[in-house]
Amino acid sequence: MIAQPKRSHAGSIVRFVALCVVGFVISVPFIWMVAASFKPRAEVEDVQIVPNKPFPRNYSIVLDMEPDPTTGRFLELRFKRWYFNSIFIAVGITVLQVLTSAMAAYAFSRMHWRGRDKVFLAYLATMMVPGMVTMIPNYQIMISLGFLNTYHGLVLPAAFSAFGTFLLRQFMLSIPPSLDEAAKIDGASHWQVFWHVIMPLARPGLIALGIFTFLGAYRSFFWPLIMLHSDRLYPLQVGMLALDTTYGRQTELIMAATVMNIVPLILVFVVFQRFLVKGIQLGSVKG
Amino acid sequence: MSKRRLPRPAVFAFLLPNFLGFCTFMLFPIALSFWMSLTNWSLKPAIETEFLGARNFTDLLGVWATGEGDGGAVAVWYYAAAAGLFLGLAGTLWAVVTGWRGGRIAGAILTALAAGIVHQWIVAARRPGSAGLAAGGHGLAVAAVICLLAGVAMMRREEGDWRFGPAMLPALLVAASAAGLWALHGPMWSAYEPSDPRFWQFLFNTLYLMLGIPFSIAGSLALAMLLSNPFPLGRAARRVIALAMCLLCGAVTTGLLWTLGYPNLGLLGGIVWLVAAIGLAVNVVAFRTLFYLPTFTSGVALMVLWKALYNPETGPINVGLTAVLGWFGVGAETAAAALPKWLADVAWAKPALIFMGVWTAIGGTNMLLYLAGLSNIPPQLLDAAQVDGAGRWARFRHVIWPQLAPTTFFISIMSIIGGLQGGFEQARVMTQGGPAGSTTTLSYYIYNKFFFDLDLGYAAAISWVLFAFIFIATAINWRFGRELEVVE
Repeated sequence: MIAQPKRSHAGSIVRFVALCVVGFVISVPFIWMVAASFKPRAEVEDVQIVPNKPFPRNYSIVLDMEPDPTTGRFLELRFKRWYFNSIFIAVGITVLQVLTSAMAAYAFSRMHWRGRDKVFLAYLATMMVPGMVTMIPNYQIMISLGFLNTYHGLVLPAAFSAFGTFLLRQFMLSIPPSLDEAAKIDGASHWQVFWHVIMPLARPGLIALGIFTFLGAYRSFFWPLIMLHSDRLYPLQVGMLALDTTYGRQTELIMAATVMNIVPLILVFVVFQRFLVKGIQLGSVKG
Repeated sequence: MSKRRLPRPAVFAFLLPNFLGFCTFMLFPIALSFWMSLTNWSLKPAIETEFLGARNFTDLLGVWATGEGDGGAVAVWYYAAAAGLFLGLAGTLWAVVTGWRGGRIAGAILTALAAGIVHQWIVAARRPGSAGLAAGGHGLAVAAVICLLAGVAMMRREEGDWRFGPAMLPALLVAASAAGLWALHGPMWSAYEPSDPRFWQFLFNTLYLMLGIPFSIAGSLALAMLLSNPFPLGRAARRVIALAMCLLCGAVTTGLLWTLGYPNLGLLGGIVWLVAAIGLAVNVVAFRTLFYLPTFTSGVALMVLWKALYNPETGPINVGLTAVLGWFGVGAETAAAALPKWLADVAWAKPALIFMGVWTAIGGTNMLLYLAGLSNIPPQLLDAAQVDGAGRWARFRHVIWPQLAPTTFFISIMSIIGGLQGGFEQARVMTQGGPAGSTTTLSYYIYNKFFFDLDLGYAAAISWVLFAFIFIATAINWRFGRELEVVE
C-alpha cells in the first residue's frame, strides 16, 4: 500500500515476493529466446531450456558468415545489410524529424505572426487522424513521385511530425521567455536565439522526442513492407518476416535473429532510461 | 510578451521545412483519401477512376433485404434499440464522469442488468415454440432478483438516501436496448443480410481483441501500486548483506540442482534468486525496468518470438504442457490431441493474441503513468483516511481510485484508440489473419484491400469508417478529459 505511516516488514516481504513472481513471468519468454538461440538444431524442441552443447554459431549463420551445418549452404539472406538499413533509416528519420520539429516549434512558440494559432490548430487536428487514413494516399503519392523502393521514400514521409512539433512547442513554452528576450536585446538574431538559447534549454524534450522517434522508426513495419520490393533495402523488421517465411522451421536461427533485433533497443533503453519516464509523461499531455 | 510583428522571412525559414512536409504527407493525403473514398480509385491500370458518391460506404455498411419477414418494421425497432444502446452507454459514461462514481453506478448497472434479464425472460416466455428458453427463464429470473437486490443494496450503502432518478435512466436505457437488440437480432438477420459481411466479422474481431484492455489496465494499476514505494532497506550494510545472501542462495540452488541432473530447474531457481538480488540492490527501479522491457522491445521481433512460443508442435508452451501432463501419466498422443493449437485454432487464436498483448503492455507506459499518478496523491489524504480508521481496501476505494480517475480515463481512451487501429502486425507476422479470418482486424482488412486487391477507393472508405470510431473516442476524451485535468 502506498504511503503507509507505519510500514510493516511482513507487507514489504509479500510485496517483494509478488514483484519477483511477476518479474519472473515477464522474463520467461526472453530467457527461452536467448536459450533457444544458443541451441543446436537437434535440441531446439526439447523441454530442457538450457542447451547441453551451446551452439553460438547460430549467430554467425544468421549473419551469413558461415554455412548452415545441416544443408551446408549459406542462408539466402542479407542480415548484415538489413541491420545497417534499419539503423541508417532510423537515425536519418530521427535527426530530420527532431530538427524540423524543433524549428517549427520555435516558430510556433517564440515568433508572432498572423494566423499562427490557426495553423497550429490544424497541426493538432491532424494528430487524431489514424495512420491508416493517410497511408493509402501516401502510397499513391510515392508511386507518382517514383519514390517506391527507395531510401528517401522511407525517410521523407517520417521526417515531419505534427506530434513532435506539438511536444516541443509545449516544452519550449515552459522555458522562461526572459532568457531569449535578454539575448534579443543583446542583438542576437532568431537563429542565434534558437541555436544558443532555446535548443540547449530544450534538451530534455529533444532527447525524449529523439528516443520516441528512433524507437518508432526502428520498429516501423507497415510502411517499409508496402514500399519495398527489393531485399537490399529491407529494414530489419521486414527482414524478420522474410526470414520467418523462408526459414520458419529453424527456430534456433529465428531466435538468434530476434536477439540481434532487440539488442539495439535494449542498448537505447539502458543509455536513455532516465529521460524516458519524463518523456512519457510529457507525451501523454495530448489534445 | 509584446505583440511585435516580426519579419516574415524568419518565420518562413523556421516553419517551412516542417510545413512543407506537413502539407505533402498529412494535409494533402487526408483530402486525397477522402476523395478516393468517393471514387473507385484503383491501382489496376485497366480501371478508369469514376466518381461513385457514397457507394463505397453503402457497400461497406449497408444491408440487403432478403425478402423474409417484415423487414421494415424490424429494422426500425432494431436501429431504435441500437441508438438507445449508444445513448445509454454515453449517458452511463457521463454519469461516471460527472460524479456518480463507484458503488452507485455499479448499483445502477446491476439493477439495469436485472431489468434487462427480466425483459429477456418475458420475451422468451411469451414466444411460442421456445420452451427451452422459457424454462431457462426461471433461472434468469432468480439471477435478476439477485442482481436487483445487490444493486439496490449498493446504491443504498453508498449514499444513505434512495437516488434512483437520473442515475438510473442511462443504465436502464442500456439494459432495455441491449435486451431489445438481442431479441431483434434473429429476425433482423433473416430479413436482411449485410452487403459486406466480412467487414462486420472483422469489426467483431477488432473489438474482441480489445478485451485485453481492462486486464492490462488492471494489471498495470496493481503493478504500479506494488512499485509505488521503495522497500524499507534502511542501511547500506543491510542491503549489501541481503544482496550477498541472495546471490549465495542462487549459486547454491543452481549448482546443487545442476549437479543433481536438473539443469532446467537449476537455471530457473538461479534466475529467481538473481531477480530478487537485483531487486534488493537497486530497489523498485529494477522491477520497473524489467516490467518495461516487453513494451520497449515490442514489435515484429517479439511477435516472431511469440509465434515460436505458440507453435503447437515445437513451441515450448505445448512441449512444456505435454511434459507436465506426462508426469500425470497422460500419453504424448492424448496430450497432443487435447492441447490447444493456439494460433492455428479458431477458438484459441484470439485469446492467444490477447494474452500476448497483456504481457507486452502490462508493465509499460500505462504502469508508468499510474506511478506518476500515485506519486501525485497528497499523502495527507491517505493519512487522514487512516486516522479515520479506513482499512486498505477502503483507502484504495475511496482515496486512491478517485484520485487516479483522470489517469484511468486517459489510459482507457488511449488504449481504445490504439486497439481500434491495432492488430495489423500480429495478423501479418503471426497468423496471416487466419485461421478462417478469425484474427483479421479492420487494419489488416484495409491492408488486404489496398495492397492485394489494389482497391484504394474501398480501402480509403474503410479507413474513414475506422476514423469515425476513433473520432468518437477522441471527442469523449476532449469533452471529459478536460474536466478531469489530464495527468501532469
